[in-house]
Amino acid sequence: MKITFPYMGSPYMYEKLFSLLGHEVITPPRPSQRTINYGVKYSPEFACFPLKVILGTYLEALELGADTIVTSGGNGPCRAGYYGEAQKKILKNMGYDVEFIIFDEPKRDLKTFLENVKKIKVNNSWRQVIKTVKTVYDMAKSMDKVEKIIETKRAYECNKGEFTKAWHEITEEYRKIESSEDVKRVEKKAIERLNSIKICEVPEEEKIRIGIVGEIYVVMEPSINGNIEEVLNAYGAEVERSHYISEWIDFNLIPLPSYKEKEHQILKKGEEYIEIIIGGHAKQSVGAIIDFMERGFDGVIHLKPFGCLPELVSQSVIDKIMREYDYPILSLSVDEQMAIANVLTRIEAFLDVIKLKKHRKRIAR
Amino acid sequence: MKIGIPKALMYYFYYPFWKTLFESLGFEVVTSDDTSKSILDIGVKEAVAEICVPMKVYTGHVLNLLDKSVDYIYIPRFVSLRKGIFMCPKFMGLPDMIKGLFDGIENKILTHNIVSKSTDISEFHNYTVFIDKLGVSRKDLKNALKKARDKWLEFRALNKQGYDINELLTSDKPKKYDGDITIGLIGYVYNVYDRFVNMDLLNVFRKLNIKVVTFDMMEERIIQRQLKKFKKNMFWEFTNMLLGTAYEFMERDDIDGIIHITAFGCGPDSILEPFLTIDSEKHKKPFMTLRIDEQTGESHVITRVEAFTDLIRIKKYKAEKSVEGVI
Repeated sequence: MKITFPYMGSPYMYEKLFSLLGHEVITPPRPSQRTINYGVKYSPEFACFPLKVILGTYLEALELGADTIVTSGGNGPCRAGYYGEAQKKILKNMGYDVEFIIFDEPKRDLKTFLENVKKIKVNNSWRQVIKTVKTVYDMAKSMDKVEKIIETKRAYECNKGEFTKAWHEITEEYRKIESSEDVKRVEKKAIERLNSIKICEVPEEEKIRIGIVGEIYVVMEPSINGNIEEVLNAYGAEVERSHYISEWIDFNLIPLPSYKEKEHQILKKGEEYIEIIIGGHAKQSVGAIIDFMERGFDGVIHLKPFGCLPELVSQSVIDKIMREYDYPILSLSVDEQMAIANVLTRIEAFLDVIKLKKHRKRIAR
Repeated sequence: MKIGIPKALMYYFYYPFWKTLFESLGFEVVTSDDTSKSILDIGVKEAVAEICVPMKVYTGHVLNLLDKSVDYIYIPRFVSLRKGIFMCPKFMGLPDMIKGLFDGIENKILTHNIVSKSTDISEFHNYTVFIDKLGVSRKDLKNALKKARDKWLEFRALNKQGYDINELLTSDKPKKYDGDITIGLIGYVYNVYDRFVNMDLLNVFRKLNIKVVTFDMMEERIIQRQLKKFKKNMFWEFTNMLLGTAYEFMERDDIDGIIHITAFGCGPDSILEPFLTIDSEKHKKPFMTLRIDEQTGESHVITRVEAFTDLIRIKKYKAEKSVEGVI
C-alpha cells in the first residue's frame, strides 16, 4: 500500500503521520502549473478550483506510484465534502485502479470508519497510534507557531528573502522529527534562527496589518493563491490568516469544548450577517473579518475559489460590512485563470488605499 | 397587508402552497412579474458578479417586488428537506445575501427557517415566526397550513401525472403534451420552467414534437430507490432528486435521451456532472448538457436541441427498421 493524500499547506504532517505508522508514503509534489493543467483537464468545468488542484496532485502522485489515497469526507453542504466521491468516479473512469480511504464522521457510517481506521492502523499498538497522533499534533502546533512569527517579522526583514529561505530549511528540519521531544528541539532552534535574522524596524504608526480570510484551501495553500502572504510581507505588511491547520484540528477533531472556544467566538461575530452555518467557512469568514477589524488590523483580504458556494454568500455581505464600517476589504477569486500581475496590481492598489487612509487619520489627529 | 413572492427559485415548486397559506391567513399575495430582460439586467447589476444566474434572477425579482409597494417580501431560508441532507448553501444564506445587497431592506423581509422531514414543508414549527410578525393566531396558522398542504399535494399529484408546472400554474385547464420521442430533462425547477432564462425550452421541444419528462413528474419513491445505489448521497436535496431521476432515465427504455440543463456557475451541478456523463455513456443513453446564463440569444439552444434530437430520431428509426428487417 503506497499512500498519498491531498496537498494543503505543509504536506509534512500527513507524511509524518503515515510514515511513523510504518506506511510507504508518496508525498505529492507541490502544486505547479502542470498539476493545475492536469486537474483542469480531467475535472468538470465548473467544479471549484480546489477539486481540480487536488485531482491534479492525485494524478501526479499516481504517476509516482501511489495506489491508495487517504482523504477526508464531510457533511456538506459545501462541495468539498463530496470531492472524494467525485474524484473516485473520475479516476476510475480514467482507468486508474486506486483505493480511496475517505474519512467521514463516524456517526455517518461507523462501520466504514472503523474499517478505514484499521487500514491505517495496521498492526501498530493503540499506544503507538496515540503517540504518533500526539507527535503529529505537536508538530502542527509548533509549525503554525513558527509560521506566525514569520508572517509578522518577514515584513521588516532587511535583506529580502531571508525569512523564506529560513522557513524552507526549518520545514526540512521538521520533516526529520520522530517524537514530541524532537518537535520541541526543532522549534527552539527555529526560533533562535529567526531571531538572528536582521530586522529593519519601522515606527509603530506606519505598520500595516492585513488579515486573510476565506475558503480554507485557497487561504492555506500558497502555491495556488500566488504566495499571497509572501507578497504582502514583501510590500511591508504583516499578515495573519483565519485558518491554521492546528486550529482546524482543535475545532474539528478534538472533542473537548475548551478547544473550540476560539472558533465559537468567531462564529458568534459572524452571526449578525450570516445567521446559520451554511457550509464551508462562510460564517467564519465574516466573523473573522469582524474579529480582525476589532483587533485593529488595517484591512482584510478575502480569498475564494471561483464560484465557491458558501463564500459567494459571504461576499454578498462583505460589501455591506465595508459600507457600514468604512473598512477596506479586498475580495479575490482564485482559479486556473488567475494572473499574478493582476493580483499584484490589485494588492498594491489596496495597500495604497490603506496607507493613505492611515496617513489621513494621523494628520487629523 | 400585501405579501410579495418573487417569481424565481422555489416559486415553481411551492407557489400553490404559499399562495394558499397567505390567502387563508387573510393577506393579499402579489408575485413579481415574469422574468424579463429588465429583471435579469437589474439582478446582474446588483448581485455579486460571479454568482449563478438563478440567484441573479432572484435578486431582480426582489427589486421588482419593491416597486410594487408590498409590505413584506417572503424570502424563506430553505435549510433541509430531509434529515442529513441540505440545500445549496446559497439557498441557506439567501435572506442574508439579500440583506447584504440592499441597505434598509431588513424590515421588508419576511423570513424563517425551513427544516423539514420531506418536501412537504407544512410542519407547524417552521412557521411560528408568523405568529408575532404577522399577528396571526396559532389556530388560524395551523388551519392555513393544512389548507396549503392539501392544495400543494393536489398540485404535486397532477404534476406527477405528467402535467408540467407551467401548465399547472398558468392555466385552469392544463394540457399534457406528447411526442414521437421522449427526452428526460434533468434540471432544477427554476431552470426548466423559467421561460425567459431557458429561451422557452419546453416550447422548443413541443414544436419539435418531443415529449419531455422532468424530475418533478417522478414519484419520490422511485428516486429514492435509485439513490440507494449510492453509499453516500450528495448534500443537496434537489441535486439528489436529479441524480436519482437521471439514473432512472438511464435504465428506462421509453426515454430516448437525456438533456441536463444547468446554469452557468452552478456548484452542485458541477459535482453531479461527472456522474451523469460517465454513467449515461455506460448505459448507452444519448446525453447532452445545455448551459444557460445571462446571454439571451436563443438560437444556440434551438440548434443544439435540434441536432441532438435529430440524432436520436435517426438512431431510433434505424433500430426499428433493422428489427423489421429481421422479421
